[in-house]
Amino acid sequence: MARYGLVIDDSKCTGCTACTIACQLHNNLEPEMTYNRLEILETGTYPNVKMDIMPMQCMHCDNAPCVSVCPTQATYKREDGIVAIDYDKCIGCKYCMTACPYDARKLNEERVPVKCRWCPEYLEKGEQPPCAATCMNDVRVFGDLDDPNSKINKILAENEVVSLLPEKGTKPSIFYVKK
Amino acid sequence: MRQFNRRTFLKASAAAAVVSSVPLYVSFNNYKKAAEDATVHKIPSFCQGCTSYCGIIAHVKNDRLWKIEGHPIHLKSRGHLCARGHGMADYAYSKDRIQHPWKRGDNGEFEKISWDQAFKEIGEKLKDIVKKYSGNSVVWMEHGSHRKPYVDRLFDKIGSPNFVTQYSTCFNSKTNAWQQMVGGTLSGDHQKSKYIIFEGRNFAGGIVPNGMNLITKAKEQGTKILVIDPRYSEIAKIADEWLPIRPGTDLAFRLAMANVLISEGLYDKVFVKKYVDGFDEFWKYNKHNTPEWAEEITGISAQKIREIAREFAKNAPQAFIEPGWHGLHAHYLNSTQTAQMAIILNALVGNFYQRGGLMPSATVTLGHLELPEVFGPEKGDRVDGAGVDGEFKTVEPARGISHLIANKVAEGKVKAVFVCNNNPLRTSPSPEEQKQLKDADLVVSINIDWNETSYHAAHYILPEHYYLERYEHPYTVSGHITHEHPQIALRQPVIKPLHDSKNIIDILDGIAKGMGYNDLYPFTVEDDIKAAIAPLGITFEQLKKAGTIEFPATLKTGFPINKGKPALKTKSGKIQFSAELFKLDGKIGVPTWIAPKVMPDSSKADEFRLIHGKQPWHSHAMTNNNNYLMAMSERYDGMSMWMNTARANKLGIKNGDTVTMESSIAKKEVKVKVTELIHPDCVWVPSTYGGYSPKNTTAYNVGVNFNDFIPVMVEPWSGSTMSQEVVVKIRKGAM
Repeated sequence: MARYGLVIDDSKCTGCTACTIACQLHNNLEPEMTYNRLEILETGTYPNVKMDIMPMQCMHCDNAPCVSVCPTQATYKREDGIVAIDYDKCIGCKYCMTACPYDARKLNEERVPVKCRWCPEYLEKGEQPPCAATCMNDVRVFGDLDDPNSKINKILAENEVVSLLPEKGTKPSIFYVKK
Repeated sequence: MRQFNRRTFLKASAAAAVVSSVPLYVSFNNYKKAAEDATVHKIPSFCQGCTSYCGIIAHVKNDRLWKIEGHPIHLKSRGHLCARGHGMADYAYSKDRIQHPWKRGDNGEFEKISWDQAFKEIGEKLKDIVKKYSGNSVVWMEHGSHRKPYVDRLFDKIGSPNFVTQYSTCFNSKTNAWQQMVGGTLSGDHQKSKYIIFEGRNFAGGIVPNGMNLITKAKEQGTKILVIDPRYSEIAKIADEWLPIRPGTDLAFRLAMANVLISEGLYDKVFVKKYVDGFDEFWKYNKHNTPEWAEEITGISAQKIREIAREFAKNAPQAFIEPGWHGLHAHYLNSTQTAQMAIILNALVGNFYQRGGLMPSATVTLGHLELPEVFGPEKGDRVDGAGVDGEFKTVEPARGISHLIANKVAEGKVKAVFVCNNNPLRTSPSPEEQKQLKDADLVVSINIDWNETSYHAAHYILPEHYYLERYEHPYTVSGHITHEHPQIALRQPVIKPLHDSKNIIDILDGIAKGMGYNDLYPFTVEDDIKAAIAPLGITFEQLKKAGTIEFPATLKTGFPINKGKPALKTKSGKIQFSAELFKLDGKIGVPTWIAPKVMPDSSKADEFRLIHGKQPWHSHAMTNNNNYLMAMSERYDGMSMWMNTARANKLGIKNGDTVTMESSIAKKEVKVKVTELIHPDCVWVPSTYGGYSPKNTTAYNVGVNFNDFIPVMVEPWSGSTMSQEVVVKIRKGAM
């Protein structure tokens, strides 16, 4: 059994938003519904100024607050690391939305708080999901953390990485390259 | 695949029942769900989200486009696509598409008509116009020139010289300079370069996805990237340095760079001696343009200019100034000279035909369909004056001056206008002037949606098949990046036409037959494709299956030489620092300093230069009616105008405020984004917004467009719009 992870090198992101729309079309989402987003931050004073762009989505945490608060086990952690949703079990209480420190969920038209699925139909074949494949700057690299030869492990070995909001103890499966 | 729960499944079943009785686009999302388990067919073609024309693989279920991916071979995409590509694929299902021919009635309202009626009436009217005013009064306006070989048959028959592209609003100053001085355009070899200057060039906004991939890879390997732009553009985000320059003064910066290279002896003397003509003349006119002189004009310190010139020379020939695209090349009175300087700076460091410098694109020669020759009356001078003695002699006639056509209608010189894959009412300056197009005796819009030209000016609207529904003549892949291997790509139908539309040959043939010319188009697009690929040793079936085919490498480094002599397609065979054609009316052929036409008065707190640019998820106004891409604009405050924080503070303007902006021709309200990421002298708007066709419902009344504020002007050398030669006054509050 694989254990999936994602490395994001946000220093390479130029904010084209292709990741968002490739995901939308693959997952049949309406224009207003997204599973990933960019957080944009401007720092400094003209002309010594810079822009940071942080791609954000469900972190598929190992210690996911959304899993522990779900009263019906509709949200659950798969063995391969993916935090998944059983639509039949969801009662729409929205506890998961409140619990997520990354603001990763949105209510869909059926009142289910949906989020990034990590597209197991790609990962299981060893392929990059649409958000990563379409990215011209190779910002995202998915892979199997248990496979010592995977590209993701190579990147993790060569770079210092950080997780977002480590103080929350969520143990995300997404690692950001520190630059 | 996503697992559906019981509720979704029931909904999908209900939707499946509905689909059979209503058009697909109505029940779009439900149809997709119903088709969840259908077989996926993967069909290659290429994109039309912009003019990069990236290769795509379309995923189709039950004849319904599901999504697209980047073609893995095509050198523009190599598996990647930008947001606009995905969005415009989905646009096939827009409810604002033209679904059948329309005719504007006497009351101004549109009524549905048949193709037969449209062809008969348009043919008869065109015949009368040609008889009365000659073919010289007929104009074809198109985005580019892809349909030109087909249009030419009709225009040869009626004797019209007036095929006009929209490039006067886009990049005429660049192509004109390169044609005159180099005989064609080269592209940067980004991946092998050590030092790249992007000046007025946002490669991450006007995107070639594989080009960006090569640039980010080069950066990882240590290539230094310098961005010079009044705005911190998307490419600035990955640059080693961003230098905000005073808008309109890039020419001064470039002249000073050349001054350092020459005066400090840093230029490649061997290359210049062998391959450059006109060096002495250039130097004679520009000796005095020192970095200290340029510092005053550009706001970039003399020391910094020297530093850049030295680093450029040190890294050469694996260094280049990016030749560019739209940015700078239709913007200022000095745009042609600015483009000339890009050539001169690159040539001074000897990077032409060098890896890591500037390289050509590998290409193949296509075959041609043997067709009966068309005989017609002799053609007169172009009505837009491009290339015409005494008018715009130095402007490339093959591109024309698009933004003048409406005025030529008003002058009575143009009587019939065909507008195809083009929307001059939104993409040319001064919409009120552009609306005069409607006063011609015949205006036919051949477009896919209810754009401003269709809605406000057309007498007839004829829907062409969408790009996902049609074949086109195969394309040799080239532009903006270099590559070893020639490629050809095919656009082919990935879905059946959703509406009562036609391909361009059938539309032209219908019009020709309406005029009584029954045998002008004795061929199909498929015939044309087969003839084009005949010399390549591949079959139509192979091309359809592959979508993109790559051929053995043909690219060579080294300056083109023939019989021991430099063999560029220029007067001397060398790079001409002095463009012969520009030496008219006592003008000189080498670039020297020309100040911008207008400048905001720095003593006035409310005056700014209005500049514009491409957002990475939009292709100017072409994508502004797309639901997905406009939702992106909404999400990221994309419609706002950027204003420097210090300037905003002086006017009491806060982030998110609405302001009133006024130029000599317009006064409009716009929301402001207050930011440190822009030069204080200017405000910046994305080039996308300001839709004013009520039937393009998503774009309608969203934001403003730079074209609203600029009068019709013509840059004297290359005929472009000078679209940033405008000063606006801004005050806080609504109108």
